[in-house]
Amino acid sequence: MRTSFVFSEVVTGLRRNVTMTIAMILTTAISLGLLGGGLLIVRMVDKMQDNYQSKLEVSVLLTNDVSANDKDCAQQPCAGLRSALETTSGVETVVYENRDKGYERFKQIFEAQPELVKLARPEAIPATFRVKLEDPARAGVIVQAFTGKAGVKAVNDQGEFLGRLLDVFNGLRNIVLGLALVQALAALLLISNTIQVSAFTRRTEVGIMRLVGATRWYTQLPFLIEAVVAGVIGAVVGVGGLALMVWGGTRVSGELFSSQILPPMGLLDVVIISPILLGVAVFISALTGYVTLRLYVRL
Amino acid sequence: MIRLEHVSKVYKTSTRPALDNVSVEMDKGEFVFLIGPSGSGKSTFLRLLLREEVPSKGRVYVSNFDVAKMSRRRVPRLRQSIGCVFQDFRLLTNKTVAENVAFALEVIGKPRNTIVKVVPEVLQLVGLDGKADRMPHELSGGEQQRVAIARAFVNRPLVLLADEPTGNLDPDTSQDIMLLLERINRTGTTVLMATHDHSIVDSMRRRVVELDHGRIIRDDARGVYGVGR
Repeated sequence: MRTSFVFSEVVTGLRRNVTMTIAMILTTAISLGLLGGGLLIVRMVDKMQDNYQSKLEVSVLLTNDVSANDKDCAQQPCAGLRSALETTSGVETVVYENRDKGYERFKQIFEAQPELVKLARPEAIPATFRVKLEDPARAGVIVQAFTGKAGVKAVNDQGEFLGRLLDVFNGLRNIVLGLALVQALAALLLISNTIQVSAFTRRTEVGIMRLVGATRWYTQLPFLIEAVVAGVIGAVVGVGGLALMVWGGTRVSGELFSSQILPPMGLLDVVIISPILLGVAVFISALTGYVTLRLYVRL
Repeated sequence: MIRLEHVSKVYKTSTRPALDNVSVEMDKGEFVFLIGPSGSGKSTFLRLLLREEVPSKGRVYVSNFDVAKMSRRRVPRLRQSIGCVFQDFRLLTNKTVAENVAFALEVIGKPRNTIVKVVPEVLQLVGLDGKADRMPHELSGGEQQRVAIARAFVNRPLVLLADEPTGNLDPDTSQDIMLLLERINRTGTTVLMATHDHSIVDSMRRRVVELDHGRIIRDDARGVYGVGR
């Protein structure tokens, strides 16, 4: 196989069809950019789960009565609740936080909003058991067992809040991946169309190739490589766009990330997912090219 | 070299067979004219040899290829042993004379050093030395057909098929092309030429196979185009 010949054919083909080639590259780039966006969200959700999973707790809030009168959890029902929590299977640690400690913590959390701290009275803060579980997913057991018990005001599962937040991100991911799919379909049809046009404009060459006994590979390879080259350029453009967006995004929303509410997504993450995007581009364009040549183009 | 055994070809779009129980044999090194009116089956005959078509019945042999039965994978090998020339030349307009000829070798994967050696040789053989870098549109019709013949012959095929090669040329130029085809025939290549050109057939006095309505109605060893025509 003469590679120089095949590549000169590829370059001729792409140049001759330059508007179609550009359209093909752009749709591929947008499609892969969206796919990459979806993958970044997946990574972000994973990181978030990792970040918070170890910190997730179940809070058992105690009634006002207990909070006011039992600073050390020495009396009933507080002491009973503590031993009941400690003996529940799957519980790792139980920490009692009385009203004063709770107020301190509240002040710390809302340090940045002094007016809120000013408004809050220690009496509004309940004493709390902070329960850490071996498996945060099993928080439901604690919630069920302790809700409504004497001295218990409410049982909050932080995992539930995190779950809702993650649901939002997962929804966003689904939308982005859905758009990527639609765009991928457009890219696919464009690739197929471009190959057909390309084969038509080169029908004389292809006719002569067939006549002088060129093998199927020799006649088809330039078209296939054309599709793959456009796919790869599309992937590179897509990854470039994604990197630009992530870079710009981290600058604009820097505070959101630095406050550690959302795990930061950096260029490294883009680099990590780029081989996937490149692989998808090569695979899809080669497959589309092959199927098109088989079905629609008589070579 | 070429053998057809009871070959019939019926196209799906037609009820009348394009070829009807044709049996004929052509030896290595023969020069054969295939004549007959339009629609008599000449083109189908040539297309069967190239395996552009498969016969509805019968067997086709070219060299030691069983053309009708061979797998698709082997078709390129068959075509590499057959050269083709057409009435409309079929040159690539964006390539020079030398590039047009080299193209036929490039696409079957011949190495570069072979190509640079044999292309000038074959251009000299067809009388185009010195015109290697011309573009097809800078050449006369006869010269363009010489390029096409050079391209067909550059891989030294066993058989050269020519479909009305002089159809677009004036009589003098046609004579030159015929001389060239004779020269190629003398190298041992079997030449099969489909034509309507009376004067050429009459002056060459070679074997004539005449088709009419898909049947062979005449096969003369040293024939003319037609009695009384």
